[in-house]
Amino acid sequence: MEFETVMTPQANVLACDGHLLKRLVEAGLVWLEVNQERVNQLNVFPVPDGDTGTNMYLTMRKAYEAVADLDDAHVGQMCAALARGALVGARGNSGVILSQWWRGFAQALENEPVLDASLFARACRSAVEMAYRAVIRPVEGTILTVTRQAMEAVAELAPREPNLLALFEAKVAMGYDALRRTPDLLPVLKEVGVVDSGGQGWIFIIEGMLRLMRGEDIHLRSAAAVAVQRPGWEMALQPEDEQGYGYDVQFLMRGQGFDVAAVQAAISEIGWSVLVVGDDNLIKVHVHVHDPGAPLSYAIRLGAVLDDVVIENMQLQYERYVQERHRHEARPVDGVAVIAVTAGEGLRRLFLQDLGAASVVSGGQTMNPSTEDFLATIQSLPNTEIILLPNNPNITMAAEQAAALCADKRVRVVPTRSIPQGISAMFAYLNDRDSLSQPELVEAMAAAARMVRTAEVTTATRAARLNGMTVGAGQIIGLLDDRLAAAGSSVEAVVRDLLRQMGTDKYELVTLYYGIDVTQAEAESLSQALQAEFDAVEIHLVSGGQPLYPYIIGVE
Amino acid sequence: MSFKTIRLVTDSTCDIPAALTAKWRIGIVPAFVNYGGGSYADDGAALDRQAFYEQLPHLRPYPTTAAPPPALAEPVLRQALAEADHVVILTAPAKLSGLHNAIRLASADFPADRVTLLDSGMVSMGLGWQVVAAAEAAEATGDLAEVLAAINRVRARQKVYAALFSIEYLRRSGRVGWAAASVGDLLQIKPVVSVAEGVVSQIARVRTFSRAVDKLVELTQAEAPLVRLAVLHANNLDGAQALRERLGDLMPSDTLTVLANPALGAHIGPGSLGVAVVRE
Repeated sequence: MEFETVMTPQANVLACDGHLLKRLVEAGLVWLEVNQERVNQLNVFPVPDGDTGTNMYLTMRKAYEAVADLDDAHVGQMCAALARGALVGARGNSGVILSQWWRGFAQALENEPVLDASLFARACRSAVEMAYRAVIRPVEGTILTVTRQAMEAVAELAPREPNLLALFEAKVAMGYDALRRTPDLLPVLKEVGVVDSGGQGWIFIIEGMLRLMRGEDIHLRSAAAVAVQRPGWEMALQPEDEQGYGYDVQFLMRGQGFDVAAVQAAISEIGWSVLVVGDDNLIKVHVHVHDPGAPLSYAIRLGAVLDDVVIENMQLQYERYVQERHRHEARPVDGVAVIAVTAGEGLRRLFLQDLGAASVVSGGQTMNPSTEDFLATIQSLPNTEIILLPNNPNITMAAEQAAALCADKRVRVVPTRSIPQGISAMFAYLNDRDSLSQPELVEAMAAAARMVRTAEVTTATRAARLNGMTVGAGQIIGLLDDRLAAAGSSVEAVVRDLLRQMGTDKYELVTLYYGIDVTQAEAESLSQALQAEFDAVEIHLVSGGQPLYPYIIGVE
Repeated sequence: MSFKTIRLVTDSTCDIPAALTAKWRIGIVPAFVNYGGGSYADDGAALDRQAFYEQLPHLRPYPTTAAPPPALAEPVLRQALAEADHVVILTAPAKLSGLHNAIRLASADFPADRVTLLDSGMVSMGLGWQVVAAAEAAEATGDLAEVLAAINRVRARQKVYAALFSIEYLRRSGRVGWAAASVGDLLQIKPVVSVAEGVVSQIARVRTFSRAVDKLVELTQAEAPLVRLAVLHANNLDGAQALRERLGDLMPSDTLTVLANPALGAHIGPGSLGVAVVRE
């Protein structure tokens, strides 16, 4: 897609039709993309998965893709398509809440050809109500609070202010006010010293829209903020043209006297999915091309010094991805089928071969799968009764959204929070699948999941203070049942620390699922050392092959 | 119809305590256990059961079991027939053991109208309760039909369950298809099994032994009220006593705690626990 990010500034925007809405959403998407790394940095847990910024960006991108080729002046129809795209593209809990916000917004616009101030106020209210309904127990100090207080500002102003631009300004201003207050409402934010990430991500979307109305370029704030996410090639269903996906090229141009608009125009001639942002001495370029040399040569001819050059072959990535996706698809089972989220070859094999899962959805540790990923896998199975195991708290809502969207099958979610919980639930499934109905099975699996404790070891993505602990970026950290519990300089020391904290001697079995970056010899040596210390428990080693987490540990 | 003297003959896998076999003058044909380069008859002399279990966790290669030569069953049958009008033979399941066939071959040399050979379909005290009930009926009635009816009453009401401490011994025994197929399992499993008609079935797969024992308790409770109960263990007396405590009021007053015979122990592995129940 090509981003048109400039609009003639207008003092008064009294009405918004489908075409303008689409351009506003595009601007919101670009502004979120530019800022997504800042949102990621607000994650409370400094762990490398489930980044809020990435999840919200991918959700919005899917929403935009649903209307990219839609030429409809009817704002209600445009918004309905958008919301549908967000709904199926939702990733992570923040993405699901965002998609429900759009759904509520679209509901208010149904049958309305044009959006004006009073309708905007109604739509914002409907959006917030729907977002609150997305969560079972709404928590204040989150994206919910931010969207609600921003909505109240619009509601207050709309009766006397017909200008949408002014309403967006009020919405963004109040949104930031509310965002700043989130640490007062949610103690964990205050402890970590951040504002709510989902709220910030949502504001960036609205702010991007506002900037388009104002005619402001959606440019870079600082070089440090430049971190465009890898393109969402995973999401695309078809290559962008008959030559395939081509290459994803990203680089920084350093120099002087750049004309950003001219660079954008030139790069747009060379390739597609163009994003050019920056100022006269630093420009970030992101483009998809068939000849990766072309944009680089262009920048050199302009006298730029290139920095942070990244070239990825998207065609090969796509093919590997598709291969990976479809490799294990067929594992038919009778009756109730289970779809589990896993990452890593060992864990995938475990769920499919040993534990009887009918299919797995890749993700969890690196990328949170979208609602659509779940829907596609659900539809690929012949079974009409299906149970989803998200195996990660940040994937539960996308799974639940998929279950709710699936009208022709009975889909239920057992909200497993970790791989060990998922495995424990699968044992209940194996034992009881022939004797229990699906609702009973869901209950038995949930009960089994609660019988195991989980420890996880990974690397901190940023410095953080949490639970009275201080960790540095790059330090090894340990989580105990989703809570930051240990930090250290070596993986082995952190594993030992976690097991000691758990009072492992009270338990019977410790299963170590070692990751792709751990060799079997390393894992065996750790296992032996642990056995010597915890001699009352059985220690079992399994090659999980998961990325980013050297060890995931189940204790029961 | 005159009162007949009817004696019982069984094999050493029945796990009936010595006091009871002596009381009912039950004839026992020994199974053989092979390990450490030797082959030992489980006849109370050649094989020290406790010593076998002490070694079992360390025995490599894993021990195997063997049926006795028919010649060894013959004196047991001869002795029983010398004392009785009729002999009822109850054996371990032919599907799981060569004992039945060895005893069948030996019994062929005796008058067919004085010998009744039955496959119990059961192991350990599952077989044992059939034998005990038969012996009681024999003494009370002196009537073969009543004895056979007593056996059938037990068979219709009995269950044998076990929680295995490891699947490894059962897998290596090669006698149980699903366990043999578990070779590729990435996770170690503590199976809960049942035995019926000579077939070992997997009732549940769990990951910790305590959960396997929970399941065992649950399965036993489902059979209540019980008229007979034996708690079986493969050298895990503490576990057996803890299990008895959990069963509490369910236990009939003459509940037995039994060390499983080595031929069975070799296939279920040390530490395992089980129950042989007969419900009302």
